[in-house]
Amino acid sequence: MIDMIAALQPLVVGAVLIWSARVKLLNRHAATVARRSALAPLLGEDRALPAYRLLGGIELSLGALLVLPPALRLENTAATALAVGFLAYLTYARRTAPTSSCGCLSSRPTPVSGRSLGRAGLLVAAAGLATLLPGGWPAALADRPLAGGAALLAEAVAVVALSPELDAAWLLPLRRLRARLTNPLRGGSGLPLLATVQQVQLSDSYRRVAPLLRSDVREHWDDGEWRFVGHAARYQGRPATAVFAVPLVDGEPEAVRVAVVDDATGQTLLALAGTGRPAGPRLDVVPA
Amino acid sequence: MPQTLDRRRLLATAALGGVVGATGLGSLAPEAAFAAEPATVEPGAPDPNFVEGRIGKISGHLLLVTGSDTVLHSIRITDGTSIWKLHPTTFDQVAIGDGLYARGVRLPDGTLAADSVWVNIVNLHAHIAAVGRNLLHLDHKGQRIVAHVVPGRSAAVYNGTPAISDLSLLRVGRHVQVLGAWHPDTNEIDIATVYAAA
Repeated sequence: MIDMIAALQPLVVGAVLIWSARVKLLNRHAATVARRSALAPLLGEDRALPAYRLLGGIELSLGALLVLPPALRLENTAATALAVGFLAYLTYARRTAPTSSCGCLSSRPTPVSGRSLGRAGLLVAAAGLATLLPGGWPAALADRPLAGGAALLAEAVAVVALSPELDAAWLLPLRRLRARLTNPLRGGSGLPLLATVQQVQLSDSYRRVAPLLRSDVREHWDDGEWRFVGHAARYQGRPATAVFAVPLVDGEPEAVRVAVVDDATGQTLLALAGTGRPAGPRLDVVPA
Repeated sequence: MPQTLDRRRLLATAALGGVVGATGLGSLAPEAAFAAEPATVEPGAPDPNFVEGRIGKISGHLLLVTGSDTVLHSIRITDGTSIWKLHPTTFDQVAIGDGLYARGVRLPDGTLAADSVWVNIVNLHAHIAAVGRNLLHLDHKGQRIVAHVVPGRSAAVYNGTPAISDLSLLRVGRHVQVLGAWHPDTNEIDIATVYAAA
Protein backbone atom coordinates (compact mmCIF):
# COMPACT_ATOMS: atom_id res chain seq x y z
CA MET A 1 0.00 0.00 0.00
CA ILE A 2 2.69 2.44 1.05
CA ASP A 3 4.65 1.54 -2.10
CA MET A 4 1.64 2.39 -4.21
CA ILE A 5 1.11 5.72 -2.44
CA ALA A 6 4.83 6.52 -2.72
CA ALA A 7 4.77 5.75 -6.43
CA LEU A 8 1.92 8.21 -6.94
CA GLN A 9 3.66 11.10 -5.16
CA PRO A 10 5.67 12.36 -8.17
CA LEU A 11 2.34 12.91 -9.93
CA VAL A 12 0.99 14.99 -7.03
CA VAL A 13 4.18 17.01 -6.55
CA GLY A 14 4.57 17.49 -10.31
CA ALA A 15 0.99 18.72 -10.68
CA VAL A 16 1.42 21.25 -7.87
CA LEU A 17 4.72 22.46 -9.37
CA ILE A 18 3.21 22.88 -12.83
CA TRP A 19 0.23 24.77 -11.36
CA SER A 20 2.61 27.00 -9.45
CA ALA A 21 4.79 27.57 -12.55
CA ARG A 22 1.72 28.53 -14.57
CA VAL A 23 1.06 31.46 -12.20
CA LYS A 24 4.70 32.56 -12.29
CA LEU A 25 5.18 32.32 -16.06
CA LEU A 26 1.82 33.05 -17.70
CA ASN A 27 0.06 35.43 -15.32
CA ARG A 28 -0.26 38.98 -16.60
CA HIS A 29 0.22 40.38 -13.11
CA ALA A 30 3.42 38.41 -12.40
CA ALA A 31 5.47 41.60 -12.01
CA THR A 32 3.12 42.93 -9.35
CA VAL A 33 2.98 39.57 -7.60
CA ALA A 34 6.77 39.35 -7.52
CA ARG A 35 7.06 42.85 -6.09
CA ARG A 36 4.53 42.02 -3.35
CA SER A 37 6.20 38.74 -2.47
CA ALA A 38 8.94 38.25 0.09
CA LEU A 39 11.42 37.96 -2.81
CA ALA A 40 11.51 41.77 -3.07
CA PRO A 41 12.90 42.41 0.44
CA LEU A 42 15.03 39.26 0.20
CA LEU A 43 16.73 39.92 -3.17
CA GLY A 44 15.90 43.55 -3.94
CA GLU A 45 13.13 45.06 -6.06
CA ASP A 46 15.02 44.71 -9.37
CA ARG A 47 15.89 41.07 -8.95
CA ALA A 48 12.50 39.92 -7.63
CA LEU A 49 10.83 39.49 -11.04
CA PRO A 50 13.72 37.62 -12.77
CA ALA A 51 14.04 35.36 -9.72
CA TYR A 52 10.30 34.77 -9.75
CA ARG A 53 10.35 33.85 -13.46
CA LEU A 54 13.44 31.64 -13.01
CA LEU A 55 11.71 29.83 -10.15
CA GLY A 56 8.70 29.32 -12.42
CA GLY A 57 10.96 27.82 -15.10
CA ILE A 58 12.57 25.43 -12.62
CA GLU A 59 9.17 24.42 -11.29
CA LEU A 60 7.83 23.79 -14.79
CA SER A 61 10.79 21.63 -15.89
CA LEU A 62 10.90 19.66 -12.67
CA GLY A 63 7.12 19.25 -12.65
CA ALA A 64 7.18 17.95 -16.23
CA LEU A 65 10.03 15.52 -15.41
CA LEU A 66 8.12 14.21 -12.41
CA VAL A 67 4.85 13.72 -14.23
CA LEU A 68 6.35 12.19 -17.39
CA PRO A 69 7.99 8.75 -17.21
CA PRO A 70 10.59 7.45 -16.60
CA ALA A 71 10.65 7.78 -12.82
CA LEU A 72 14.16 8.62 -11.65
CA ARG A 73 15.35 8.88 -8.08
CA LEU A 74 17.30 12.00 -9.02
CA GLU A 75 14.21 14.00 -9.97
CA ASN A 76 12.50 12.99 -6.72
CA THR A 77 15.56 14.13 -4.79
CA ALA A 78 15.52 17.46 -6.64
CA ALA A 79 11.81 17.85 -5.88
CA THR A 80 12.46 17.18 -2.18
CA ALA A 81 15.23 19.77 -2.17
CA LEU A 82 12.92 22.30 -3.87
CA ALA A 83 10.10 21.57 -1.42
CA VAL A 84 12.44 21.98 1.56
CA GLY A 85 13.61 25.23 -0.03
CA PHE A 86 10.00 26.43 -0.29
CA LEU A 87 9.34 25.57 3.34
CA ALA A 88 12.48 27.43 4.43
CA TYR A 89 11.57 30.42 2.23
CA LEU A 90 8.04 30.62 3.62
CA THR A 91 9.26 30.32 7.21
CA TYR A 92 11.78 33.06 6.54
CA ALA A 93 9.17 35.24 4.80
CA ARG A 94 6.76 34.82 7.68
CA ARG A 95 9.40 35.86 10.19
CA THR A 96 10.99 38.78 8.35
CA ALA A 97 8.30 40.08 5.99
CA PRO A 98 4.96 39.03 7.49
CA THR A 99 2.98 41.47 5.34
CA SER A 100 4.39 40.22 2.05
CA SER A 101 2.39 37.96 -0.18
CA CYS A 102 3.15 34.26 -0.64
CA GLY A 103 2.99 34.47 -4.45
CA CYS A 104 2.66 30.69 -4.50
CA LEU A 105 -0.30 29.30 -6.40
CA SER A 106 -2.19 32.42 -7.42
CA SER A 107 -1.74 36.10 -8.18
CA ARG A 108 -4.23 36.92 -5.41
CA PRO A 109 -2.25 38.63 -2.61
CA THR A 110 -2.16 36.11 0.20
CA PRO A 111 0.02 36.52 3.28
CA VAL A 112 2.06 33.52 4.35
CA SER A 113 -0.12 31.65 6.84
CA GLY A 114 0.00 28.43 8.79
CA ARG A 115 -1.87 26.80 5.92
CA SER A 116 0.80 27.77 3.37
CA LEU A 117 3.41 26.27 5.68
CA GLY A 118 1.28 23.12 6.04
CA ARG A 119 1.06 22.80 2.27
CA ALA A 120 4.82 23.20 1.90
CA GLY A 121 5.28 20.57 4.62
CA LEU A 122 2.93 18.22 2.77
CA LEU A 123 5.00 18.66 -0.40
CA VAL A 124 8.21 17.89 1.53
CA ALA A 125 6.63 14.73 2.92
CA ALA A 126 5.29 13.69 -0.50
CA ALA A 127 8.56 14.30 -2.32
CA GLY A 128 10.54 12.67 0.51
CA LEU A 129 8.36 9.55 0.38
CA ALA A 130 8.83 9.33 -3.38
CA THR A 131 12.61 9.61 -2.95
CA LEU A 132 12.70 6.81 -0.37
CA LEU A 133 10.42 4.44 -2.28
CA PRO A 134 10.69 5.28 -5.98
CA GLY A 135 8.30 3.76 -8.48
CA GLY A 136 6.46 4.56 -11.69
CA TRP A 137 3.00 6.07 -11.18
CA PRO A 138 1.34 4.73 -14.39
CA ALA A 139 2.06 1.16 -13.35
CA ALA A 140 0.95 1.75 -9.75
CA LEU A 141 -2.29 3.36 -10.90
CA ALA A 142 -2.95 0.55 -13.39
CA ASP A 143 -2.43 -2.07 -10.64
CA ARG A 144 -4.90 -0.58 -8.15
CA PRO A 145 -6.94 2.09 -9.95
CA LEU A 146 -9.57 2.50 -7.23
CA ALA A 147 -7.25 2.85 -4.22
CA GLY A 148 -4.79 4.91 -6.23
CA GLY A 149 -7.51 7.25 -7.44
CA ALA A 150 -8.78 7.68 -3.88
CA ALA A 151 -5.27 8.47 -2.61
CA LEU A 152 -4.75 11.05 -5.38
CA LEU A 153 -8.13 12.61 -4.69
CA ALA A 154 -7.41 12.82 -0.94
CA GLU A 155 -4.09 14.54 -1.60
CA ALA A 156 -5.61 16.95 -4.09
CA VAL A 157 -8.28 17.84 -1.54
CA ALA A 158 -5.57 18.37 1.09
CA VAL A 159 -3.58 20.67 -1.21
CA VAL A 160 -6.66 22.71 -2.11
CA ALA A 161 -7.77 22.91 1.52
CA LEU A 162 -4.32 24.15 2.54
CA SER A 163 -4.26 26.84 -0.17
CA PRO A 164 -5.63 30.19 1.05
CA GLU A 165 -5.37 31.43 -2.57
CA LEU A 166 -8.08 29.03 -3.68
CA ASP A 167 -10.57 29.93 -0.94
CA ALA A 168 -12.47 32.26 -3.25
CA ALA A 169 -13.24 29.30 -5.50
CA TRP A 170 -14.77 26.97 -2.93
CA LEU A 171 -14.72 28.21 0.67
CA LEU A 172 -16.39 31.60 0.16
CA PRO A 173 -19.24 30.16 -1.97
CA LEU A 174 -19.83 27.57 0.76
CA ARG A 175 -19.91 30.28 3.43
CA ARG A 176 -22.20 32.39 1.23
CA LEU A 177 -24.53 29.43 0.88
CA ARG A 178 -24.55 28.87 4.63
CA ALA A 179 -25.30 32.56 5.24
CA ARG A 180 -28.15 32.42 2.74
CA LEU A 181 -29.62 29.36 4.43
CA THR A 182 -29.23 30.49 8.06
CA ASN A 183 -29.38 34.31 7.55
CA PRO A 184 -27.34 34.99 10.71
CA LEU A 185 -27.45 38.80 10.45
CA ARG A 186 -31.24 39.11 10.35
CA GLY A 187 -33.18 40.94 13.01
CA GLY A 188 -31.85 44.52 12.91
CA SER A 189 -34.69 46.95 13.46
CA GLY A 190 -35.31 50.47 14.63
CA LEU A 191 -33.93 53.77 13.41
CA PRO A 192 -30.20 53.96 14.11
CA LEU A 193 -28.77 57.14 15.61
CA LEU A 194 -26.55 57.55 12.55
CA ALA A 195 -29.62 57.93 10.32
CA THR A 196 -30.80 60.80 12.54
CA VAL A 197 -27.34 62.39 12.58
CA GLN A 198 -27.14 62.14 8.79
CA GLN A 199 -30.55 63.82 8.51
CA VAL A 200 -29.43 66.56 10.91
CA GLN A 201 -26.20 67.18 9.02
CA LEU A 202 -28.03 67.60 5.72
CA SER A 203 -30.47 70.09 7.21
CA ASP A 204 -30.55 73.83 6.78
CA SER A 205 -30.86 74.21 10.58
CA TYR A 206 -27.55 72.41 11.08
CA ARG A 207 -25.84 74.45 8.41
CA ARG A 208 -26.86 77.64 10.17
CA VAL A 209 -25.77 76.68 13.70
CA ALA A 210 -22.79 74.47 12.80
CA PRO A 211 -20.21 77.21 13.58
CA LEU A 212 -21.55 77.35 17.13
CA LEU A 213 -21.16 73.61 17.79
CA ARG A 214 -18.23 72.53 19.94
CA SER A 215 -18.69 68.80 20.40
CA ASP A 216 -19.88 65.64 18.76
CA VAL A 217 -23.25 64.19 19.83
CA ARG A 218 -23.37 64.35 23.64
CA GLU A 219 -26.77 62.84 24.28
CA HIS A 220 -29.85 61.71 22.44
CA TRP A 221 -33.29 60.56 23.46
CA ASP A 222 -36.62 59.74 21.89
CA ASP A 223 -39.82 61.37 23.05
CA GLY A 224 -43.07 60.63 21.26
CA GLU A 225 -42.62 61.18 17.55
CA TRP A 226 -39.36 63.09 17.97
CA ARG A 227 -35.74 62.19 18.50
CA PHE A 228 -33.59 64.83 20.19
CA VAL A 229 -29.85 65.11 19.63
CA GLY A 230 -27.77 67.40 21.88
CA HIS A 231 -24.39 68.96 21.13
CA ALA A 232 -22.33 71.25 23.32
CA ALA A 233 -22.24 74.73 21.79
CA ARG A 234 -20.82 78.14 22.53
CA TYR A 235 -22.87 81.21 21.81
CA GLN A 236 -21.10 84.56 22.15
CA GLY A 237 -18.76 83.10 24.75
CA ARG A 238 -21.53 81.46 26.77
CA PRO A 239 -21.64 77.68 27.17
CA ALA A 240 -24.83 76.44 25.61
CA THR A 241 -26.52 73.29 24.34
CA ALA A 242 -27.66 72.96 20.76
CA VAL A 243 -30.54 70.53 20.62
CA PHE A 244 -31.87 69.25 17.32
CA ALA A 245 -35.40 67.87 17.12
CA VAL A 246 -35.82 65.30 14.36
CA PRO A 247 -39.16 63.68 13.53
CA LEU A 248 -38.88 59.89 13.70
CA VAL A 249 -41.26 59.33 10.80
CA ASP A 250 -40.11 62.07 8.41
CA GLY A 251 -36.68 61.56 6.88
CA GLU A 252 -36.58 64.96 5.17
CA PRO A 253 -33.72 67.23 6.32
CA GLU A 254 -36.09 70.21 6.07
CA ALA A 255 -38.11 68.88 9.00
CA VAL A 256 -35.18 69.25 11.46
CA ARG A 257 -35.61 71.99 14.08
CA VAL A 258 -32.95 73.34 16.39
CA ALA A 259 -32.71 75.39 19.57
CA VAL A 260 -29.63 76.78 21.31
CA VAL A 261 -30.20 76.93 25.06
CA ASP A 262 -27.98 78.73 27.56
CA ASP A 263 -26.53 76.15 29.99
CA ALA A 264 -26.51 78.54 32.97
CA THR A 265 -29.89 80.25 32.67
CA GLY A 266 -31.92 77.80 30.59
CA GLN A 267 -32.85 80.68 28.30
CA THR A 268 -33.50 79.85 24.64
CA LEU A 269 -30.91 81.87 22.76
CA LEU A 270 -31.95 80.83 19.31
CA ALA A 271 -34.56 78.56 17.78
CA LEU A 272 -35.02 77.70 14.14
CA ALA A 273 -37.83 75.70 12.61
CA GLY A 274 -37.25 73.76 9.43
CA THR A 275 -37.40 76.12 6.50
CA GLY A 276 -39.18 73.75 4.20
CA ARG A 277 -36.97 74.84 1.35
CA PRO A 278 -33.31 75.73 1.05
CA ALA A 279 -32.34 79.25 1.92
CA GLY A 280 -30.49 81.39 -0.57
CA PRO A 281 -31.27 82.76 -3.99
CA ARG A 282 -33.83 80.85 -5.96
CA LEU A 283 -34.34 80.86 -9.67
CA ASP A 284 -38.00 80.99 -10.55
CA VAL A 285 -38.74 80.01 -14.12
CA VAL A 286 -41.88 81.70 -15.32
CA PRO A 287 -43.46 80.38 -18.51
CA ALA A 288 -43.51 83.06 -21.14
CA MET B 1 -32.29 61.56 37.18
CA PRO B 2 -35.20 64.05 37.68
CA GLN B 3 -32.63 66.73 36.85
CA THR B 4 -31.87 65.02 33.55
CA LEU B 5 -35.57 64.71 32.77
CA ASP B 6 -36.21 68.37 33.62
CA ARG B 7 -33.28 69.41 31.47
CA ARG B 8 -34.42 67.26 28.59
CA ARG B 9 -37.95 68.65 28.88
CA LEU B 10 -36.52 72.17 28.77
CA LEU B 11 -34.39 71.38 25.73
CA ALA B 12 -37.24 69.62 23.94
CA THR B 13 -39.61 72.52 24.59
CA ALA B 14 -37.01 74.94 23.28
CA ALA B 15 -36.47 72.93 20.12
CA LEU B 16 -40.14 72.42 19.39
CA GLY B 17 -41.22 75.88 20.54
CA GLY B 18 -41.56 78.99 18.50
CA VAL B 19 -38.87 80.54 16.39
CA VAL B 20 -36.57 82.82 18.34
CA GLY B 21 -34.57 85.14 16.17
CA ALA B 22 -31.15 86.17 17.29
CA THR B 23 -31.63 89.84 16.60
CA GLY B 24 -31.54 90.81 20.27
CA LEU B 25 -28.47 88.70 20.86
CA GLY B 26 -26.25 89.71 17.98
CA SER B 27 -25.63 88.49 14.49
CA LEU B 28 -26.69 85.02 13.41
CA ALA B 29 -24.56 84.99 10.31
CA PRO B 30 -22.02 82.14 10.17
CA GLU B 31 -19.36 84.69 9.22
CA ALA B 32 -19.67 86.25 12.68
CA ALA B 33 -19.00 82.94 14.38
CA PHE B 34 -16.03 82.15 12.14
CA ALA B 35 -14.57 85.58 12.70
CA ALA B 36 -14.48 84.85 16.43
CA GLU B 37 -12.07 81.93 16.08
CA PRO B 38 -9.30 82.38 13.54
CA ALA B 39 -7.63 79.23 12.27
CA THR B 40 -4.35 78.78 14.11
CA VAL B 41 -2.99 75.54 12.59
CA GLU B 42 -0.14 75.93 10.15
CA PRO B 43 -0.52 73.78 7.04
CA GLY B 44 1.47 70.58 7.53
CA ALA B 45 2.06 71.15 11.24
CA PRO B 46 0.53 68.79 13.79
CA ASP B 47 -2.84 69.97 15.01
CA PRO B 48 -2.28 71.14 18.60
CA ASN B 49 -5.94 70.64 19.38
CA PHE B 50 -5.93 66.92 18.63
CA VAL B 51 -4.59 64.05 20.76
CA GLU B 52 -4.52 60.29 20.22
CA GLY B 53 -3.23 57.60 22.51
CA ARG B 54 -4.06 55.12 25.25
CA ILE B 55 -5.24 56.01 28.71
CA GLY B 56 -2.64 55.24 31.38
CA LYS B 57 -4.29 56.89 34.32
CA ILE B 58 -7.58 58.55 35.24
CA SER B 59 -7.53 61.04 38.10
CA GLY B 60 -10.71 62.95 38.65
CA HIS B 61 -11.67 64.41 35.31
CA LEU B 62 -8.12 64.31 34.01
CA LEU B 63 -6.98 61.56 31.62
CA LEU B 64 -3.28 60.83 31.23
CA VAL B 65 -2.77 59.52 27.73
CA THR B 66 0.32 58.07 26.07
CA GLY B 67 0.36 58.86 22.37
CA SER B 68 1.55 56.35 19.79
CA ASP B 69 4.69 58.52 19.50
CA THR B 70 5.10 57.94 23.31
CA VAL B 71 4.36 61.60 24.04
CA LEU B 72 2.39 62.03 27.26
CA HIS B 73 -0.77 64.16 27.09
CA SER B 74 -3.25 65.19 29.74
CA ILE B 75 -6.85 65.64 28.71
CA ARG B 76 -9.47 67.37 30.81
CA ILE B 77 -13.04 66.15 30.48
CA THR B 78 -15.48 69.03 31.01
CA ASP B 79 -19.24 69.22 31.41
CA GLY B 80 -19.46 69.99 27.71
CA THR B 81 -17.32 67.10 26.46
CA SER B 82 -19.00 64.56 24.24
CA ILE B 83 -17.79 61.01 24.85
CA TRP B 84 -18.24 58.33 22.22
CA LYS B 85 -17.66 54.68 23.00
CA LEU B 86 -19.60 52.82 20.31
CA HIS B 87 -22.36 55.35 21.01
CA PRO B 88 -22.62 58.67 22.88
CA THR B 89 -21.98 57.74 26.50
CA THR B 90 -20.79 59.10 29.83
CA PHE B 91 -17.40 59.56 31.46
CA ASP B 92 -17.81 56.61 33.85
CA GLN B 93 -17.68 54.24 30.85
CA VAL B 94 -14.09 55.27 30.08
CA ALA B 95 -11.49 52.84 31.44
CA ILE B 96 -7.73 52.64 31.82
CA GLY B 97 -6.22 50.89 28.79
CA ASP B 98 -8.75 52.34 26.37
CA GLY B 99 -7.45 54.07 23.28
CA LEU B 100 -8.86 57.44 22.29
CA TYR B 101 -8.96 60.29 19.85
CA ALA B 102 -9.68 63.67 21.45
CA ARG B 103 -10.32 67.11 20.02
CA GLY B 104 -10.54 70.29 22.04
CA VAL B 105 -8.73 73.43 23.05
CA ARG B 106 -5.21 73.65 24.53
CA LEU B 107 -5.10 75.34 27.89
CA PRO B 108 -2.06 77.47 28.81
CA ASP B 109 -0.63 74.60 30.95
CA GLY B 110 -0.65 72.26 27.94
CA THR B 111 -3.71 70.30 29.01
CA LEU B 112 -6.24 69.63 26.28
CA ALA B 113 -9.72 70.68 27.37
CA ALA B 114 -11.64 68.15 25.34
CA ASP B 115 -14.70 69.06 23.31
CA SER B 116 -15.10 65.56 21.91
CA VAL B 117 -13.53 62.24 22.85
CA TRP B 118 -13.87 59.08 20.78
CA VAL B 119 -12.88 56.06 22.85
CA ASN B 120 -11.45 52.94 21.15
CA ILE B 121 -12.64 54.16 17.77
CA VAL B 122 -11.34 52.19 14.77
CA ASN B 123 -11.88 52.63 11.06
CA LEU B 124 -11.08 49.54 9.00
CA HIS B 125 -11.19 48.58 5.36
CA ALA B 126 -11.63 44.83 5.20
CA HIS B 127 -13.23 41.89 3.45
CA ILE B 128 -15.93 39.78 5.02
CA ALA B 129 -14.39 36.32 5.41
CA ALA B 130 -17.37 34.72 7.12
CA VAL B 131 -20.54 35.63 8.96
CA GLY B 132 -21.96 34.10 12.12
CA ARG B 133 -24.90 34.92 14.35
CA ASN B 134 -24.46 38.68 14.93
CA LEU B 135 -20.80 38.29 14.01
CA LEU B 136 -18.60 39.24 11.08
CA HIS B 137 -15.20 37.65 10.57
CA LEU B 138 -13.17 40.27 8.75
CA ASP B 139 -10.00 39.78 6.77
CA HIS B 140 -7.94 42.94 7.29
CA LYS B 141 -4.68 42.69 5.34
CA GLY B 142 -4.42 39.01 6.22
CA GLN B 143 -5.27 39.54 9.88
CA ARG B 144 -8.51 38.09 11.17
CA ILE B 145 -10.76 40.52 13.04
CA VAL B 146 -13.92 39.47 14.84
CA ALA B 147 -16.57 42.18 14.56
CA HIS B 148 -19.61 41.94 16.80
CA VAL B 149 -22.98 43.25 15.70
CA VAL B 150 -24.55 45.07 18.66
CA PRO B 151 -28.34 44.92 18.27
CA GLY B 152 -29.86 48.36 18.57
CA ARG B 153 -26.51 50.08 18.01
CA SER B 154 -24.90 48.77 14.85
CA ALA B 155 -25.99 50.40 11.63
CA ALA B 156 -25.32 49.77 7.97
CA VAL B 157 -24.93 52.25 5.14
CA TYR B 158 -25.48 50.63 1.74
CA ASN B 159 -24.32 52.53 -1.35
CA GLY B 160 -24.27 55.80 0.59
CA THR B 161 -28.01 55.77 1.33
CA PRO B 162 -29.33 56.68 4.82
CA ALA B 163 -28.23 54.34 7.61
CA ILE B 164 -30.47 51.43 8.57
CA SER B 165 -30.29 48.79 11.30
CA ASP B 166 -30.60 45.87 8.90
CA LEU B 167 -27.18 44.26 8.34
CA SER B 168 -28.52 41.24 6.50
CA LEU B 169 -27.52 42.59 3.08
CA LEU B 170 -23.81 42.11 3.87
CA ARG B 171 -22.26 39.35 1.76
CA VAL B 172 -19.33 37.05 2.41
CA GLY B 173 -16.32 38.02 0.29
CA ARG B 174 -17.36 41.64 -0.20
CA HIS B 175 -15.33 44.69 0.78
CA VAL B 176 -16.60 46.77 3.69
CA GLN B 177 -15.52 49.78 5.68
CA VAL B 178 -16.22 49.40 9.38
CA LEU B 179 -16.32 52.09 12.04
CA GLY B 180 -16.33 50.51 15.45
CA ALA B 181 -15.12 50.30 19.00
CA TRP B 182 -12.10 48.13 19.68
CA HIS B 183 -11.99 45.74 22.64
CA PRO B 184 -8.57 46.76 23.98
CA ASP B 185 -5.74 44.25 23.43
CA THR B 186 -7.84 41.84 21.39
CA ASN B 187 -8.65 41.42 17.72
CA GLU B 188 -12.33 42.06 18.41
CA ILE B 189 -14.44 45.13 17.76
CA ASP B 190 -18.07 46.16 18.16
CA ILE B 191 -19.58 47.51 14.97
CA ALA B 192 -20.89 51.07 15.00
CA THR B 193 -21.35 51.47 11.26
CA VAL B 194 -20.53 49.24 8.35
CA TYR B 195 -20.37 50.78 4.89
CA ALA B 196 -20.96 48.36 2.04
CA ALA B 197 -22.27 47.96 -1.46
CA ALA B 198 -25.49 46.06 -1.80
